[in-house]
Amino acid sequence: MTTLSLTINGQKHGPVDVRDDLSMNDFLREMLGMTGTKFGCGAAQCLSCAIIVDAPDGTSTTSPTCVAPAVNFDGKSIRTVEGHAQGGQLSALQQAFINHFAFQCGYCTAGFLNEGQVLLERLARAPVPREALEQTIADALDGHLCRCTGYIKYHEAVRDVILADSNRYLIATK
Amino acid sequence: MGPSRREFVKWLSAGGISVSLSHLASAAGVPFAAHETLPGRGNFNPATKGAGRVDGVAKVTGAKLYASDFRANDLPGWPQTTSHAILVRANDATHVYTGMDLARLKGALKPSVVVTADDLDRIGTQVPAFYAGDLFCPPGKTPLYLGQPVALLIFEKFDTFDQARLALRDGTFVQFGEETGPVVVPDYGAFRFTRVAGPKPEMPDVYSPLQAGWVSPKKVQSAALPVWSPLAKEMPPDYAKAAKYGEQIRAELAANDASTLVLEREFETQSVDPMFLEPECGLAWYNGKQGNKGGNLELLLGVQSPYEAADSIAHLFGKARAPYKPAHINAQFAHVGGGFGGRDHTPFILYVALAAVCFPGKPVRLAHDRYQQFQGGIKRHAINMRSRIGIDRATGKIKAFAADHVLDGGGLAHFSASVAVVAGTGAIGIYDIPKVDVRTVAVHSRGVSAGSMRGYGILQAMTALEVLIDEAASELKLDPIEFRRRNALPQNGRTMTGNPYIVSVRTPEILNKLEEHPIWQERAQFKQTSSDRLVGTGVACVTKDYGSGADGSLGRVELGPDGKIEIYCDHVEMGNGIGTALANRVASHLGAIADEVSVARVDSYDVLGLVTSGDPATMDQKTQDAAEKNPRWVPAISSPTSSSIGAHVGTHSAGEAARVIFRFGLWPAALELWHIPKTDPRAKQSAIASWQNGQLIMPGLEPLALPVLAATAHARGFVTGAVAHSFSRWAWSRARFPLFGEQYRADIDALAIRRGNGKFERINRVSVKFPPTVNNRIGTAYTSMCGSLVRVEIERATGALRIAKAYSVFECGTALVPEVVIGQAHGGFAMGVGYALLETLPPLEGGPGGGDWNLGRYLVARGSDLPLRDLEIEMLKPQTADEAPKGMAEVVMIPIVPALINAIHDATGHRFRALPVTASLLKGVLA
Repeated sequence: MTTLSLTINGQKHGPVDVRDDLSMNDFLREMLGMTGTKFGCGAAQCLSCAIIVDAPDGTSTTSPTCVAPAVNFDGKSIRTVEGHAQGGQLSALQQAFINHFAFQCGYCTAGFLNEGQVLLERLARAPVPREALEQTIADALDGHLCRCTGYIKYHEAVRDVILADSNRYLIATK
Repeated sequence: MGPSRREFVKWLSAGGISVSLSHLASAAGVPFAAHETLPGRGNFNPATKGAGRVDGVAKVTGAKLYASDFRANDLPGWPQTTSHAILVRANDATHVYTGMDLARLKGALKPSVVVTADDLDRIGTQVPAFYAGDLFCPPGKTPLYLGQPVALLIFEKFDTFDQARLALRDGTFVQFGEETGPVVVPDYGAFRFTRVAGPKPEMPDVYSPLQAGWVSPKKVQSAALPVWSPLAKEMPPDYAKAAKYGEQIRAELAANDASTLVLEREFETQSVDPMFLEPECGLAWYNGKQGNKGGNLELLLGVQSPYEAADSIAHLFGKARAPYKPAHINAQFAHVGGGFGGRDHTPFILYVALAAVCFPGKPVRLAHDRYQQFQGGIKRHAINMRSRIGIDRATGKIKAFAADHVLDGGGLAHFSASVAVVAGTGAIGIYDIPKVDVRTVAVHSRGVSAGSMRGYGILQAMTALEVLIDEAASELKLDPIEFRRRNALPQNGRTMTGNPYIVSVRTPEILNKLEEHPIWQERAQFKQTSSDRLVGTGVACVTKDYGSGADGSLGRVELGPDGKIEIYCDHVEMGNGIGTALANRVASHLGAIADEVSVARVDSYDVLGLVTSGDPATMDQKTQDAAEKNPRWVPAISSPTSSSIGAHVGTHSAGEAARVIFRFGLWPAALELWHIPKTDPRAKQSAIASWQNGQLIMPGLEPLALPVLAATAHARGFVTGAVAHSFSRWAWSRARFPLFGEQYRADIDALAIRRGNGKFERINRVSVKFPPTVNNRIGTAYTSMCGSLVRVEIERATGALRIAKAYSVFECGTALVPEVVIGQAHGGFAMGVGYALLETLPPLEGGPGGGDWNLGRYLVARGSDLPLRDLEIEMLKPQTADEAPKGMAEVVMIPIVPALINAIHDATGHRFRALPVTASLLKGVLA
């Protein structure tokens, strides 16, 4: 057993003793009841289980939770799908997913939302030229599987959020 | 005769067990309380603001929606702790099963309960006919199929369960002895569909299934495949007659006639997994009592077929011994994380119920992981198809077609016979062919069970056909689209069962769109090869049935005094947007989007008091005529959410209920507000009125807002709520109801209304016309068409294929939610690409039944496999403003598959005759 403490969506959790081989996915879903993070394959292939890990330097990445032990997240700060909306207001990306009918069954949505949000934050720190945007979105989302949608509306939703605030996310062109 | 496309589900009562299907209640005590929107709890409905889906907020905020999200402590009244079960499955089906290595689960890993075949005998379970076969393989027998369950292990603590499941994964936990070879089982169904048209299109057919019924050869237990000869011993006379015509057709095709081009080709399709992202899961709690009095069995499930699930579980325990026989079963249903047919009639739910009954007092969760889902989930049929086509060289007209289909049904019958029928009766696609003979058989194998999956046999048959058509056009030196146009079935032409379609047939329009599209126009220009890559263009055009031929629909609509609308529907939300479609269909009658839409609601129609009996797919007219004298009798009460029926069937009854509210609630209210007496001719002109921006508009009169009308309807005791049921057997039931001094006729067969704030009251029909039972001989009368073009680029060195551009055009009548329809078309395209190029499962040993398959090994299309910026989807506008919605969720995945194979031929000169066409296969032919 290992003692685990971490921050989830801005709230401290722990210390709590967990088995060393307990997956982060089961920690969230079984121990905390946070089932917004999904279980899809258990092999880090579909990424419906992906969450956001915030590094101390202000950067963020996504991480699968199905193959990662919970103890790997000790001392870390993470965000899950339950934490995107603030004060009852949806984030721009959540609203864009709805407006675009981006998802169907919705089981992959948490993973796409987290990946898209990390992309937005990365572009806010390091904008890309407009001509690189499509490939940037494609590269960012490609690890995520969706069986319903064909991905197009997810991509359109992410693109629209970026283009709606292009000064923030894109390098200005002459 | 013949099987229904979807198994008939009786109203629920078995062996003295009472059954209810209740609404999924709110999750309690969840630590992230905000934004829960359970099925039916539309706290915030973005669709009312003109954007998004009714389940949109729930899905982007991680609300508990799916069966896999719930634990016992989420459910009011349940114990707080959840136990966990593992369904252990056999990974060998050629050796005797001898037992499990339970010794490895000692000490802390020891399960609290082990349930095996012996326990089933002790309990006295009975397997529903649809799932015939041992629920658990008993020791001493060879498993019926790879992946057959052998035991349930139940663990009280999650940690124990979690560690045990890892300890079992090495493939040696289930033990086997002597080699026996596979278990031999008779085929699941064999049919022959033969049609000989009359000398002219307007003349009656010489022979057709519609005239003579569906026929099967005599079962020959000692032969692996049927004996099709009409002369075989003891062959049924109806079969012999069909076979005589069929053999004549085959003889004509075999004749060496120089004026006829005859091609005979074989095509093989593979087994694939639906790969819905949420593995199957269920939660159950049996409050079993000691002694003879059974307790309540509570279930939370995620399936496409809620009525069937409850019915099958009731059947399972109908003759159980005390204390295992529940007195009452209550099932609740959640959203499903993808279905694609794989959750329609799933045997998984039986094991969820068993787990609870065998661990009384403790809520038990049974959840597949992905390995288990591959091992035990329903698969798509692999089909071997040998086709013969004869074409008049002078006219380019197809004269005759014959085919032999062999479907690998795997270990359980499931829908195998039905899929064989659908593939067989759909085998000539969009074409008008005067002589057709298709023989089809679904066989048992020791592979994982195959059953319902999006495309349902038509995907396989259309792929074989459209690849053959492409080759025929090439042989005849005809343009592939012109060849298709020349042979396309006209609007009033007859399908191969002898009936015409009763919906629009827009093949010519679709072919024109394909022909005019730049991908087709520029195909020669792009075909120029370079040293490192080949370019090719392919086309295909297909048709796919929707509806099962025996579909029930339930809907309830309520209008509040403030104008707020609530809708209840029995269909399940599996991503298809049924809730949003309902809201839009009802809005066309009531002028506003619903504030609450409850899907998977199966508890809201008791007032209709419906009863049913018999099988609507096989009953005779006399039986139906007698049964319908009971004004509460209907041929089928509810249907699974499948067969692309969401828009067409799933929304029908709610739409009709809304029509009743308008006609007998809002319209009389409007007349009062306009001070128009009943004697005024305008009082009968409700059809002229229309809704604009939430206001009822009538030329020359003051617009009236919905809340004003609703308040008046409530105050005056007019109709403010309605519950309706309807039934479709390639036509809707139609009945008369006495309402307010008139005989109201509608495409429904049961109705209840609410006046003002009163209670719902049933209105007994005074006459009814159910679709005739002869319609059961129809293959399909409802169909949608879709065509695709695709341009591919193939690297010579590696065989890597890139889809450079693609275009799909389809028709679906009135699209209730166009954004959802386009999304389904995108998703269908992606699934088609995966099927054509990536996905495959070995059918037997080495396949998913071994329990070691997962994503990574099984490839599905990712974004990088698709032309995300170069896929164009065109949805044809409805032919009329009031054209009914048509099912489209399946047809949109089909034509891209043969179009890709045809494009690969155009690029490489090689015709592939099996799927999938992988990069390594392409590299092989390019070497």
